Amino acid sequence: MITILETIGRLALWLLLAPMLPGIVNRVKSWVAGRRGPPVLQLYYDLARLWRKSVVMSTIASPGFVAGPAVAWVAVVGAALLMPLGPAGGAFSFKGDVLLLVYLMATARFCMAWAALETGSSFEGMGAAREVSYAVLTEAALITAILSLSVQTGSVVLDSMLSTSSGAGAVLLAAGLFAVLLAENCRVPFDDPNTHLELTMIHEAMILDHSGPPLAVILHGASVKLMIFTVLLCEAVLPLARLSPVMATAALAGAVGLVTVGVGLVESLLARYAFRRVPMLLTAAFLLCLFALLLAWKGGAR
Amino acid sequence: MSLGGLLAFGLLTLGAGIVLGGRMARTWLALSVAGCGAALASALPVLCGAGDWEFRGGFQIGGEPLHFRLDSISAMFLALLGAVGALGAIYSREYWSEEHSVGSAARGRRWWCAMILSMGLVLLASNGIHFLIAWEAFAVSGFYLVTLDSGRREARAAGWLYLAASHAGTLCLFAFFSTLAARTGSWDLGPMRDHANLAPLFWLAFAGFGVKAGLFPLHIWLPSAHANAPSHVSALMSGVAINLGIYGLVRFGGWLPLPPGAGWIVIGAGMVTTLLGIAFAFAQNDLKRLLAYCSVENAGIIAIGLGGALLGARHGDASWGRLMLAGALLHVWNHGLSKSLLFLGAGSVLHSTGTRDVSRLGGLWRSMPWTASLFGVGAAAVSGLPPLNGFVGEWLIYLGLFGAATSRGPSAWAAVPAAIVLAMAGGLALAGFVKAGAVVFLGAPRTKAAAVAREGGPLMRGPMVALAAACVVLGLAPFAVWPAVGRAVGAWNPRWDGAEIPAPLLELGLIQIALAGLFAAGAAWLWRRVHESNLRRAPTWDCGYSMPTARMQYTGGSFSGIAAGWFSWVLRPELRQRRPRGLFPNHAVRMERVPETALEKFFGPAGQLVMRLSDATRRLQHGRVQFYIVYFLGGLVALAVLTLLIP
Repeated sequence: MITILETIGRLALWLLLAPMLPGIVNRVKSWVAGRRGPPVLQLYYDLARLWRKSVVMSTIASPGFVAGPAVAWVAVVGAALLMPLGPAGGAFSFKGDVLLLVYLMATARFCMAWAALETGSSFEGMGAAREVSYAVLTEAALITAILSLSVQTGSVVLDSMLSTSSGAGAVLLAAGLFAVLLAENCRVPFDDPNTHLELTMIHEAMILDHSGPPLAVILHGASVKLMIFTVLLCEAVLPLARLSPVMATAALAGAVGLVTVGVGLVESLLARYAFRRVPMLLTAAFLLCLFALLLAWKGGAR
Repeated sequence: MSLGGLLAFGLLTLGAGIVLGGRMARTWLALSVAGCGAALASALPVLCGAGDWEFRGGFQIGGEPLHFRLDSISAMFLALLGAVGALGAIYSREYWSEEHSVGSAARGRRWWCAMILSMGLVLLASNGIHFLIAWEAFAVSGFYLVTLDSGRREARAAGWLYLAASHAGTLCLFAFFSTLAARTGSWDLGPMRDHANLAPLFWLAFAGFGVKAGLFPLHIWLPSAHANAPSHVSALMSGVAINLGIYGLVRFGGWLPLPPGAGWIVIGAGMVTTLLGIAFAFAQNDLKRLLAYCSVENAGIIAIGLGGALLGARHGDASWGRLMLAGALLHVWNHGLSKSLLFLGAGSVLHSTGTRDVSRLGGLWRSMPWTASLFGVGAAAVSGLPPLNGFVGEWLIYLGLFGAATSRGPSAWAAVPAAIVLAMAGGLALAGFVKAGAVVFLGAPRTKAAAVAREGGPLMRGPMVALAAACVVLGLAPFAVWPAVGRAVGAWNPRWDGAEIPAPLLELGLIQIALAGLFAAGAAWLWRRVHESNLRRAPTWDCGYSMPTARMQYTGGSFSGIAAGWFSWVLRPELRQRRPRGLFPNHAVRMERVPETALEKFFGPAGQLVMRLSDATRRLQHGRVQFYIVYFLGGLVALAVLTLLIP
């Protein structure tokens, strides 16, 4: 009974808080640009509006066009439930849960790309091709980061991997994971979530033909994914287990906010990179994680 | 019925299938399903822990008494053979029927039974001579099945390449078994870890079985053979036949004493095979070639697991070694089932549209909804996505690799790159199967052939449904087969017998079941919401482009352009193009092909060099007797000089 209540509580936390992060990012961007900007809760209004709207679907799209976003959303939310939340730990902690998390993200990507290609549109094809291609490199960087955490702590359980700090390699790991976060969530400098030039987009190009409730599900899933990566980055760096539960919760919340503001600052201060430079940046992220791994291997407690 | 009786029954029915298959198609189907069913049924008790089965007969074949053995390892492969064999036979009744392929259908039925029979005997044989006989019969029947469609030049060429490569492998195996017999004094096979002088023989077995398993760069025969064979044969070859190569590696990796570097070489070969196999697969535009290269990748994944097990056995029987072996063995099943499913799906597409070229297909989901959705399941399974079966095997291998990495021993130097390669290969496999599934089944039909496609009949759909169901069940309930896998791990290395394999499969299985339920519920819920919301259908919006034609869709080539570019150093794509010219351009061509680099850039030229040298040598032989006398004289003088020089 307690487990069920706890799971519902976690679910509510993830589902309700996640749409806040894109709001904060946008707020930071408008603050840097000197505009007033949309309210922090804008995405909530958008989601509510989209949920009530009717759907226009391409005549050549199969039921997978709707099923894809739904399955992707469930996969991302499932991955969120695997994430430990500071002192509260993970809801379903077991050996190897971290790999399930990575592969649930892959399931979500498979479904999104499949749904994008349903329409036969070239723009969506382009977006999907970019998404799945760059994911090859981000996945390598992510696994390397996880390996470094695992070697550091000698565990393959998210709960214990993320409770201590990653030691000397924390800075490298933070930089690498931050780049992975930006790439996986299609933020600047990998992709521009604001642009309306389809040729230059990844995520937005994939969802051009989605509307109404499926679009709401996609946008909400994207915000949950952003929150997962933010929490992952913060917990990998912060030694939460050494703090008291209250302090740890406060530190985690503060760090998540900080990273979100950082995403907004990057987005305000950097321009999107040319696509041919994206692989180089991702390789750099991979190398950062690799060096963090080497540091964890040679240093760190046995 | 006793196990021996069941196996004898299978032998008899398959033998009868060879004899009667030519004329009586229905009887043949019953016989081959019964034979395969008997194989499956005899494997099950061994898998469930009823103990090994062994048979020694007084009767001699080839001067050696019969010796058969079925233990947990061979039972795993035999079960897969039985399942895929029976389903492929049912599928072929419609796919390769008398009406569609006049003349070759009868031949195909006979050789099908012959191939399954010989594969079964390979798995049972426990005597070097009989193993070789069965192995050769298996290779030859494979040749006749690949070239069933002998009217096509491609199929004949693929068949010859297969036969040549197969025999190169058999040559290694011949050397292996005969040296083994010479050193141990008997052709009988069994554990021989205490004969330390046998260790170097592992390399011969590695080369011989590596050819069949398709390890890079010995895979050169595989893509063309699997692509040009009839699809039910491709399913059997990709799903089971390459696993016989794996079987040989697992079997003799467990029985032989190992040379020091064995684990390193096997895991290294696995890494190269995995990454390059999937890179080649991703760049293909021929649906069946794509699947064939993906089989190369999966053989690599299994080799990573096996190499890890060899390393683990060497470095203090670490628990991660057991995990890797369990993952590799489970991946044999997972890959066998999902790849057979995909090949049968590709066969349905080929059957109804007549093309394997993905850029001529598209939009097939409407006319072939069964094939489309089952192919989608297979694609997700083979990309290793939860909650399907492909994930479970890869997850176990990952756990083993992470265990080796956290041990910080010397094995970590192999485990860390292997984990990264596995991650990249996972990403590329996902990309490749999104491409294969989406370009073939989604969007609008690109050609008329694709527009008039028709779904296959129940005999083609049924086996695909069964295979997809097996993929789902193995994904949701991995704990059900876990004891069997554990027994096989124990049989591989007796020191691991009964040792715990630290993997929480029960938790994973429960989460996978929950996930599958939630996926279905989520999709149904959104589907309902969409239909409640006043759904309107309109042409694809595509940012306001109002005149889309089917040819303007994204093609497979453009989809794979980005990532294939990263591998152009090994893929070496060949580009033929004529750019549009002038003010009113009307003709432009762009053709891209990814050759089999290892074959065309290395083995091909090497073969030609040998041919040229042989041609040059042949000039010595011209039929003029006086010159032959000169050769003799020269030879005698040379011998005389040699004997004088060497005391």
